[in-house]
Amino acid sequence: MSQIKNQLAQLNGSAGPLFISYYTAQGEPFPNNVDKLCGPNMTDFPPFHPNGTEKTKLVELYRIVAYLSASLGNVTRDQRILNPNALSLHSKLNATVDIMRGLLSNVLCRLCNKYHVGHVDVTYGPDTSSKDVFQKKKLGCQLLGTYKQVISVVAQAF
Amino acid sequence: MAFSAVLHPAFLLVVLPLKASLSEVLGEPFQLIPEILTVSIQSKLQQVNLQWTVPNLTHQELKMGFQIEISRMNASNIIWVEDYSTTVKRNQVLHWNWKSEIPLECVTHFIRIRAMVDDANYPPQNSWSNWSSWKEVSVQVSVAPNTLLIFPKSKLLEEGSNVTICLLYGQYLYNVSCMLQKEPIHGEQLDSHVSLIKLNNVVFHSHSGTNIYCQAMNATKTPFGTVLFVSKVLEEPKNFSCETQDFKTLKCSWEPGVDTALTWSQQDSQNYTLYESFSGRSELSDHRNSHNWKITEESQETYNFTLTTENNLRKRSVNIIFNLTHRVHLKAPHDVTLETVDAKKANMTWKMHSRGDNYILLCQVELQHETEVIHECNVSVHMSASYLFSDLEPDTEYKARVRCADANHFWKWSDWAQKAFSTPEAAPSQALDVWRQVRSENGSHVVTLFWKPLLKSQANGKIVSYNIVVENQDRPSEAEHYSVQAPALGTQLSLDMCSYKIHITANNSMGVSPESVMALSNDSGHEEVHEKRIKGTKDGFHISWEPLSGDALGYVVDWCAHSRDQHCDLKWKNLGPNTTSTNITSDAFKPGVRYNFRIFEKSVQQNAQLLEKQTGYTQELAPLENPKVIINNFTSNSFILSWPGYDSDFQSAFIEGYRVYLKSKEMQCHPKGKRTSLSDNSVLCEYEIKDPEQKSFTVENLQPESLYEFLVTPYTSAGQGPNETFTKVTTPDENSHMLLKIILPMTLCVLLIVIACYWKSQWVKEKCYPDIPNPYKSSILSLIKSKKNPHLIMNVKDCIPDVLEVINKVEGPKTQCIVSGKPHNEDVSIKPPSSVPTEDGSSGPVPFMFFENFTYDQSAFDSGSHGLNPGPLKDTPGQLGLLTPPDKLLNVLEKDYMKSLAESPTEETSLIYVSQLASPMCGDKDSLVTNSPKPVHCSGYKRQMAVPGRLPSLALSESNSLTSMILLGQGEQ
Repeated sequence: MSQIKNQLAQLNGSAGPLFISYYTAQGEPFPNNVDKLCGPNMTDFPPFHPNGTEKTKLVELYRIVAYLSASLGNVTRDQRILNPNALSLHSKLNATVDIMRGLLSNVLCRLCNKYHVGHVDVTYGPDTSSKDVFQKKKLGCQLLGTYKQVISVVAQAF
Repeated sequence: MAFSAVLHPAFLLVVLPLKASLSEVLGEPFQLIPEILTVSIQSKLQQVNLQWTVPNLTHQELKMGFQIEISRMNASNIIWVEDYSTTVKRNQVLHWNWKSEIPLECVTHFIRIRAMVDDANYPPQNSWSNWSSWKEVSVQVSVAPNTLLIFPKSKLLEEGSNVTICLLYGQYLYNVSCMLQKEPIHGEQLDSHVSLIKLNNVVFHSHSGTNIYCQAMNATKTPFGTVLFVSKVLEEPKNFSCETQDFKTLKCSWEPGVDTALTWSQQDSQNYTLYESFSGRSELSDHRNSHNWKITEESQETYNFTLTTENNLRKRSVNIIFNLTHRVHLKAPHDVTLETVDAKKANMTWKMHSRGDNYILLCQVELQHETEVIHECNVSVHMSASYLFSDLEPDTEYKARVRCADANHFWKWSDWAQKAFSTPEAAPSQALDVWRQVRSENGSHVVTLFWKPLLKSQANGKIVSYNIVVENQDRPSEAEHYSVQAPALGTQLSLDMCSYKIHITANNSMGVSPESVMALSNDSGHEEVHEKRIKGTKDGFHISWEPLSGDALGYVVDWCAHSRDQHCDLKWKNLGPNTTSTNITSDAFKPGVRYNFRIFEKSVQQNAQLLEKQTGYTQELAPLENPKVIINNFTSNSFILSWPGYDSDFQSAFIEGYRVYLKSKEMQCHPKGKRTSLSDNSVLCEYEIKDPEQKSFTVENLQPESLYEFLVTPYTSAGQGPNETFTKVTTPDENSHMLLKIILPMTLCVLLIVIACYWKSQWVKEKCYPDIPNPYKSSILSLIKSKKNPHLIMNVKDCIPDVLEVINKVEGPKTQCIVSGKPHNEDVSIKPPSSVPTEDGSSGPVPFMFFENFTYDQSAFDSGSHGLNPGPLKDTPGQLGLLTPPDKLLNVLEKDYMKSLAESPTEETSLIYVSQLASPMCGDKDSLVTNSPKPVHCSGYKRQMAVPGRLPSLALSESNSLTSMILLGQGEQ
């Protein structure tokens, strides 16, 4: 459990810089319209209830991390193409995805060992491959804005 | 049935030409109306593709013209008409494209076409055919309510081009505002759901595109946007050229210009392709700015290259044609050698990569010294060559380099090949520039010789030493030789007052320089000439002089570079015989520093005679400090100010005089002074002393007992000294001097008396009031403390020396004693206190004395009731024997003293000062015992201490450390 907490703290600490790095790399109008373009108003983001039982929270955390891992993978791929020179952003995205993979494994392990939960139904974000560039930029920004907000709550809940 | 099937086509083939012929005959033109097959759209390119055919075409080929019309929104709104001519073959499907400036998703377009035969082989068709029917061109886009669609999406365009952005509003959406990066952009409403924004001359923002985003005022969703990928304009390659070094490879190079790559796979960097037309070969370059083209055909001499660069938006080409032999860029020479022939010559050899000895090469040879090219020469050579450098400087490092090119068809120089070398040393070529300073000291000449270091070009090597030969003119055979090791630039000689000739040479490893000669006459260093003042400028001094004789060999001007320092740093300048003036310049010259120049005339005999002395400043400055003024003859009405002069070398300018400022209230200025009233009603008088040698000033007409302030400051041509604080002085009273005359002697007299008294004070003291010893302060007390033997204490009352006299008169009354108490012990009363030894020798008690010093009994003194009268003691039982036990003694003492104190008016508050007689042998217990018969010789006055009235009892009761006892011995005593 301590590993999960550490990983959450790590993600919570890096979420802000990642968000800033992302919207800065997209160019104007993103940095000056963060509220409009990157507001955390994703409707399909998995919910999290900080007051729930540990088991509930772990299940919800698993869903969130699974959702984020997949979405951030897409964002990373898109940014490699769109902003090939934004190396700092790439490294932050990669680091975040790496931590999430470890976290996902640890959460599942905990659920399995303690609560005997071997399977959790997860949801993923919408497919953005057909979206145009601006939409991809915007959706990525919204995802990171939401992630920054949610991870703070999640980290505090554990 | 089969027959009819065969007949029908045959019938048509016959009838149709007939029909055409019939139309011509009847005058009704035959119309070939094009038939639109398909109209398709390429959204990304905003392009409409039209495909049509010309039915009923009877000829195999017919040149035709077509006219295509495009309408927007409705058929009547024609926005484009274009004529298109082509040769039409029978059953051919024709294609035509049109690019819309507006994204096709936003507006419906209509298209139609008509045709006309335009072939010379056939009778001209006078008019267009009928139009085909309108075909609608549209992209079905559904816009959800509260949604905004922006077209085109991710469009690639070139910087500087124009683009139209189209917005499609969903239901309930209005007041849409858009931004291009940070800048707002505005459009025009096409209809209720469509608006267009025209962007002209778009600029490049980033390789990752330019963001456009729009948001409606009432939008509930996040903003919508699109990205324009604006590419830099592809530039034409510059300075395209090809050359060969080895006739095997052609290296072509060019300046590629800006990279037009964009991200998101919109556009890669432009590529470069080389095409050679004679060989027909084409190669794609791996590099942006060069390509190596292999020469495969040795016989091919002429090459025609086309360099094409291309990106998604544009293609550009440049072309060169050349003969291979005219584009030869030779490799750098190799095997370069350099051999020094002597100190001034060196031979360079080198070889070239060449196709043979028949080819003539042009080579450029350069000689460098300290990065400066000092020699350059072009030579024609074959495969190997050599070049001789002459007029070189000995002992000098050089760098020789060479490069070559094809002499017949010069294209480019090869790279340089270079080699460094040094020439050997040679003997110094120039005589030293020497000078001397002569001063007389103890009947001899102290000659300091100076010389300037030879220039590198003169030294021809490292100077090792300087040789000096001093030749006595009177005794030429007696020449003295001196050697001064380099890098010294001078030496000092002590010579007698004879005439001398001094020869100085510089030596290096290869030889000796020409000698420099100076002659010294008998009177060298004794010349006295007038000193002239000169005015310098910031650049230096102009010095001129009058020649002394007409056959001068030359002149020398010398001066000290640091005139203020002890270290002179003599500088000199040699001048030719016909010179009578010179400009002396130096970076070391400073403003406010006096420089002294001496001009010497050199005779044919090399003797230098002092002509003139000149002194001056490059810039005179105001004095930096005022003199220290001393006031003399100070009276009530006047005083004299005097001050020392300045050392001339430390003057910042020639002092022209002094100004004395005198400030006071209600003062009358001397007529020679200048009066100025100040704001505080005081008066300032200014007196100017125009003689710089005058160093005193008398201030007169002063008021007694008045305050005056003065300041003395020098002035020069550059101004006067600093405005320092005025010195204040108050004139004395008129009678003060009289008083002084009386008081001073009186004071002196009194002082003398006091000194005399002090000198004789011991005598007076002894005579008038000798000190009474204080036994309490004897060091013996410490012994008492250690021995704790109070038997040794003798009460002073038992030891009054006067009793001795009484002993001689046993019957006499004792009332005259100072302490008149009855003796308690006969031994005590009859024995002498000091000088008389006891009968039983050393075992007897030692007659030390104990005194109470009532002189210090303050209460007694104050009351006057006691004085020296020890009244209270008379009644005390304190006349204790020497063997009185300690406790008794203590008690007695306590009682005795306390009683006496109790009877004193001062009682408890009084102090008793107890004088103590010192022990005979301080700290020596054994001696105390053995030498007890001679206590008087050891007696002395010790310091006195104040004992509070209560203290004795306390001290005695607590310890024996503080008692009025004298230790007489140990044990039985």
